[in-house]
Amino acid sequence: MSDMHLSTDLLVDFLHGELPPEDDALAHAHLQFCAACRQEYDLQVALSDALRSAAAAEECEMPSLVKAVVWERIRNAQPSRWQRLAGWLRPAVAVPVAAVIVIGGYFASPLARPSASAPTVDAAYYFAAHAQSSATAPLSEHATAPALETSMAGAPGAPPVEELEAYAATGELDAVR
Amino acid sequence: MGESRPRLEPANTEQTAFLERAMTEYGKATYNFALRLTGNEADARDLAQEAFLRVYKAWRSFQPGTSFLSWIYRIVTNLYRDELRRRKGRYWEEIPEDNAPQEFAGQRPLAVTPIDDYVDRQLGEPLSKALAHLSPDQRQVVLLADIEEYSYQEIAEIMGCSIGTVRSRLHRARALLRRLIERTQTQQQQQQ
Repeated sequence: MSDMHLSTDLLVDFLHGELPPEDDALAHAHLQFCAACRQEYDLQVALSDALRSAAAAEECEMPSLVKAVVWERIRNAQPSRWQRLAGWLRPAVAVPVAAVIVIGGYFASPLARPSASAPTVDAAYYFAAHAQSSATAPLSEHATAPALETSMAGAPGAPPVEELEAYAATGELDAVR
Repeated sequence: MGESRPRLEPANTEQTAFLERAMTEYGKATYNFALRLTGNEADARDLAQEAFLRVYKAWRSFQPGTSFLSWIYRIVTNLYRDELRRRKGRYWEEIPEDNAPQEFAGQRPLAVTPIDDYVDRQLGEPLSKALAHLSPDQRQVVLLADIEEYSYQEIAEIMGCSIGTVRSRLHRARALLRRLIERTQTQQQQQQ
């Protein structure tokens, strides 16, 4: 590198600090004694300085209109379809909706219905047990008393049924009551 | 500027504060970057507006601890590129994407036109006029490398290209600027 001139591209990279350390050191050393390369390098430095100086001279504040338009557009923004959907997912709306769905789902599910395989006891069983206990221990405290014979029909010494019916038809019995 | 405007969410306090701070602290830098890029105030205003709307929309994607300026320059660069693509015919890549050195070392003639003369005479000339001769990509690279003083790596990240492409574009852009300066110098000497 020391025998040849440095390329302009290499000088540009050197100026921007973009050379690997070894090349950077060699370029630096070369520029110490090579007037031609030094002059080219100074030219590149002056170009960068000119760009920076001119940029600084032209620099201006951002117009207030920019800020105003940005805020205006944000205020007038229409939410997208997804954003509207997301609005429905807010807790104030989402919680009651979720509760309705859960409750509805519960009642619609088999959990809420009586199972067909659930154990049942036939009522006839109780009647049968009752009849049996009455027959075996009629006076038991837990046993129901046998039906009392309230009808005189068929009782020993009672008049025949036909006579009783005829007597009732006369109305005398009603008069007694 | 662009036709496809970003959709915006209803404002929330944190997001609003983020945007307010971004515009207060980085509005000037962003606008000036956009101005140098576009070369005119109307486009620069539109570009800055769109950039800050993108900042507002994508505020959660900004990673704290990283450079906000690099982030918004990347946004501006992408928006500008999209806009140029939209305006078909106004933007084409002018240089091949290679990394071949533009000039090799040899017997270099001494520079006959000191740049300091140019600087002294031309500082009154708007920078935008000189930069207008560059392609948009070359202009971006010069702005980022020489005015904003970003490294090649950072420029590559902002522009979404390789470091080699950054290097190549910068070399060509500076060579073009030099030719422009020398031409101007010659014209001035002839007029005198």
